[in-house]
Amino acid sequence: MAQEKWYQRSGAEGDVVISTRIRLARDLAHLPFPAWMTAEQREDVITQVFGAFPNDQPCAFERRRMSDVPARELLAMVERHLISREFARDPSGEALLITADEGVSIMVGEEDHLRIQVLRSGFDLDSAWQEATCWDDYLDTRLHFAFDERLGYLTQCPTNLGTGMRASVMLHLPALQEKGIIQQLSVTVSKLGLTIRGLYGEGSKPEGALYQISNQVTLGITEQEAIDNLRSIVNQIIREERSCREQLKDSPAFEDRVFRSLGILQNARLLTGNEFMTLISPVRMGVALGMIDHTDLNALNSLLIDAGAGALMEAAGEELDAAQRDVRRAALVRERLR
Amino acid sequence: MLCDHCGKYAATTHVKKTVNGKTTELHLCAHCAAQQGIGTNFGFDLGDFWGSLFAEPAKRTQEDTVRCPDCGRSFREIADQGRPGCSTCYLTFYDRLLPSIQRIHGKTQHTGKVAAQADGTVKKERELQALRDKLNACIAEQDYETCAQLRDQIRALEQEGEA
Repeated sequence: MAQEKWYQRSGAEGDVVISTRIRLARDLAHLPFPAWMTAEQREDVITQVFGAFPNDQPCAFERRRMSDVPARELLAMVERHLISREFARDPSGEALLITADEGVSIMVGEEDHLRIQVLRSGFDLDSAWQEATCWDDYLDTRLHFAFDERLGYLTQCPTNLGTGMRASVMLHLPALQEKGIIQQLSVTVSKLGLTIRGLYGEGSKPEGALYQISNQVTLGITEQEAIDNLRSIVNQIIREERSCREQLKDSPAFEDRVFRSLGILQNARLLTGNEFMTLISPVRMGVALGMIDHTDLNALNSLLIDAGAGALMEAAGEELDAAQRDVRRAALVRERLR
Repeated sequence: MLCDHCGKYAATTHVKKTVNGKTTELHLCAHCAAQQGIGTNFGFDLGDFWGSLFAEPAKRTQEDTVRCPDCGRSFREIADQGRPGCSTCYLTFYDRLLPSIQRIHGKTQHTGKVAAQADGTVKKERELQALRDKLNACIAEQDYETCAQLRDQIRALEQEGEA
């Protein structure tokens, strides 16, 4: 049986927090940044990184060349947050190292030579950071990372200089969204060196009331300070979201929306990705509030991933057009929410 | 995918143009995109604005003779392209890049994790500071036994570099 993946379970503060991610940007010294690399130099970086994990020793990572990965699987990997959309767009000269539970992935040849990424379900910044820094230390002794004592880790984009660390927490904020205070929240956190974005990061729209909050500043702040700062703000957002949910809970209009959404999901024969995200959000909130008891947050977290266009095509083992995906998505959701 | 223009580097900028109903696609590497004036003036990634953050109009008329020993870029080229070519660019043009780095982060001194490749002075200085902080706390608590141990550790660490 395949190992359980990080997204198949719900974690700490799971009613509001979907997942936690730590990402470290690292580049190799004396090589051009990826945007300027030749095909040979890209190959050289992949060889160096693969070489850091000797063939004759058991390795925690599966090593994959992205040019060998079918397009539908690339899309599924984006949906599982293993790789970025930019990374999936042009897979030549790129590689990925990935653990069996998909909790640790290392992108080679993205915006920086290496992007070390750790994903955890629920609100779990400390253990995600411990794991990330551990793999960073391992690679640091085997590769020559570009580093300067004044500017820290030298990254292609100056917005990552310093720690090169982006810590982010994915939140389900349907009640705050309903109250229309996300915009205000976004302005407030930006003054604290944080940023709130949609589900797939930069420039993406908030689907299903899912938001990512992450640190923006990376220079002149330690990793621990950035993490503590993020943690305290997220704790406050969790409290606000819960209190707004309690206010909504007793309204007949809200209860109607939760069960009407569930009804559609349980019976629809065609579901677009957008409609699914719109309907699953009130259902998830209903489950978190104990209004619905025949499914749980673990199942819903899995479903959020499995109902993606790439995941559906990967499960089917073939390319599907939008209409075919809508049929399969509806069937999957009916089965899971029965 | 390689650049449509030079065919040498990976294409990272993708432009779709529709003129009179006819759509054409262009895939360019960062260098060719910058040459054609594409890439730095759209998209809202903070990094994309970097080129326009350079604030030394007086110095820009200077002769641009200094080049990065690793990738060969001049400061002017980095400013025009909006991105450095390699990590050594940051060290070569440190003084001239610093104002825009400060504008992004508000600070200019790294305080986080130190890479194994660093020469160790920062690492040692931070270890010493941590020990001195501990020592002060012990003095306040009148824990003289631990104080003596910490003092020895500090002395040993200080002498390490001089030996």
